[in-house]
Amino acid sequence: MMAPLTRNRIRGVVIHAVLFVVLGFWMIPQVYMLSIGLRTPAQAFDAALFTWPVTFDNFVTVIRDNPLGGIFLNSLIITAATVAIVVAVSSLFAFACAILRLKGSMLLYTTLLTTLMVPLASMVLPLAILLKNFGWVNTYIGLILPYAALGVPFAMVILKAFMEDAPRELFEAARVDGCNAWQTYWHVALPLVRPALVFVTIWQFIVTWNEFFLALIVLTRSEMKTLTIVPMQYSGLYMANPGALFAILTLIALPLILLYVLVQRAFVRGLLAGAVKG
Amino acid sequence: MRAGAAIAAVKRRSASRASTLYLFALPATLLFVVFIAYPILWVAGQSLYSGTTDGRAIFAGFANYKTILGDPTFWIVVRNMVLWGVITIPVQMLIGGLLAYFIERHTHALRGFFRTMFFLPVVTSVSVISLVWVQIYAPYYGIAQEYLKHVGIIMTTSPIGDPKTAIYALIIVNIWQWTGFSMLMYIAGMANLPSEVLDAARIDGARGWRLAVHVIVPMLSPATKSLLLLGVIGTLQTFPIVHLMTGGGPNRASEVFGTFIFKQSFVLGDTASGAALSVIVLVTALVLSLVQIALLGARLSPAGKEQP
Repeated sequence: MMAPLTRNRIRGVVIHAVLFVVLGFWMIPQVYMLSIGLRTPAQAFDAALFTWPVTFDNFVTVIRDNPLGGIFLNSLIITAATVAIVVAVSSLFAFACAILRLKGSMLLYTTLLTTLMVPLASMVLPLAILLKNFGWVNTYIGLILPYAALGVPFAMVILKAFMEDAPRELFEAARVDGCNAWQTYWHVALPLVRPALVFVTIWQFIVTWNEFFLALIVLTRSEMKTLTIVPMQYSGLYMANPGALFAILTLIALPLILLYVLVQRAFVRGLLAGAVKG
Repeated sequence: MRAGAAIAAVKRRSASRASTLYLFALPATLLFVVFIAYPILWVAGQSLYSGTTDGRAIFAGFANYKTILGDPTFWIVVRNMVLWGVITIPVQMLIGGLLAYFIERHTHALRGFFRTMFFLPVVTSVSVISLVWVQIYAPYYGIAQEYLKHVGIIMTTSPIGDPKTAIYALIIVNIWQWTGFSMLMYIAGMANLPSEVLDAARIDGARGWRLAVHVIVPMLSPATKSLLLLGVIGTLQTFPIVHLMTGGGPNRASEVFGTFIFKQSFVLGDTASGAALSVIVLVTALVLSLVQIALLGARLSPAGKEQP
């Protein structure tokens, strides 16, 4: 009776130890980034993961010298607007397919789904020309709408699956009670698929915040740039001062990492709920 | 007669009601038409024209494609893309799958912690990651050459500065960044495993390695197929890591479709060959995706019952 229990416990300890070692290696790039950001100029070029002593001077300098607030705001505006549009548009479309079952909606659904097979690399040239013709270069809307168009198909797949899984009697009941389609959408469908809405929101936020290729082409004026595309210019600016460069890189990476840590539980819950529906 | 008129009236009324219901589908359709379908049609058309010095476009048939296919860089790109997909996708599946297995089946209190930590590279800005890895790979002051020395690997130059190793060095960065995503997809897939099946298999004497290989791996095949599909599309749209770390160099050795399209279209301003390249990437992605969907029944997302 005792033997298997201790064997299990030993196995548990060993597996935890191995996972921690692997994680230790996995975190090297992030630890290294932070470590260089905390160095004095004399240690900046030391070929070591850790150095001593640490200083926060680099962080003070780069926060003082750079308009990080404005860049952060650009990222936030573009990302928040994209997420809002994707969630609204994709849930409306999913409702049309899964609940209203409009004629032709499945054909439309399949057509929109092809977007998921389109690599962004093949879209940057035509989108760049389109946005130029619209006069939308260096505008928020010039990124928001293409991002939304690229993001809607994935979100609608998830939301449609959740809506199809919801008990149909609830929608019947809503109709009997005199709800029109909009009221049913707002009061019945959306609350029912909340975990999926949370999941889609978080995923779209991550993808949009970190998008690089299109942002690089559409945002050329420095006051429009987002956090994802500014690191290049700092690598030139702080070439001789790695401490400052890596301090600013840490600051650039931090917002999304913190956000993810805060919402990861809800994100994984949504993902697991979705998997069960598969 | 009157019954027929009544039915027609009802039909008319429900038809007009139904047409307002199409407003639910309208915004998504509009976004698709303007920002996906139209640009694709435009680029397909443009790929058949060549620009002239006075700004007029001349119908050129498949001349742009011929030029591209005759460009030696194109074939370097094809080789790099094949390497990228063939290495990245299975390695990410293997590491991600192992992490998912051990985290889900053998940790409890720390489960959320491990899930989150291994996923962090996915949410770390790719431009930040690229610059950090340039520093890691750097000669003299980078930590890679310093620590790999102790295990017998001597690096005198940066691996991204050498045409022979550049693409592999970039692939490592890509694997590092995206393995957490594979892990999470497998975690989602494992949530799907009915515990009765696992218990039954265990009673039948399957345990440890055999349980993993004969029961768990086959049951995770939907997740594996999704990862394959997403991996192929992801490979074809590779851009930031290469653009930021090597710019496709040295001497174009690490060029990928993303950087090639970027250079042709936005650096050289050669819209015609940029368009032809875009179409080649698009068609490759569609063909490879449809083949997987048809042959393997692969799906585009962890959730949903879509019939692509």
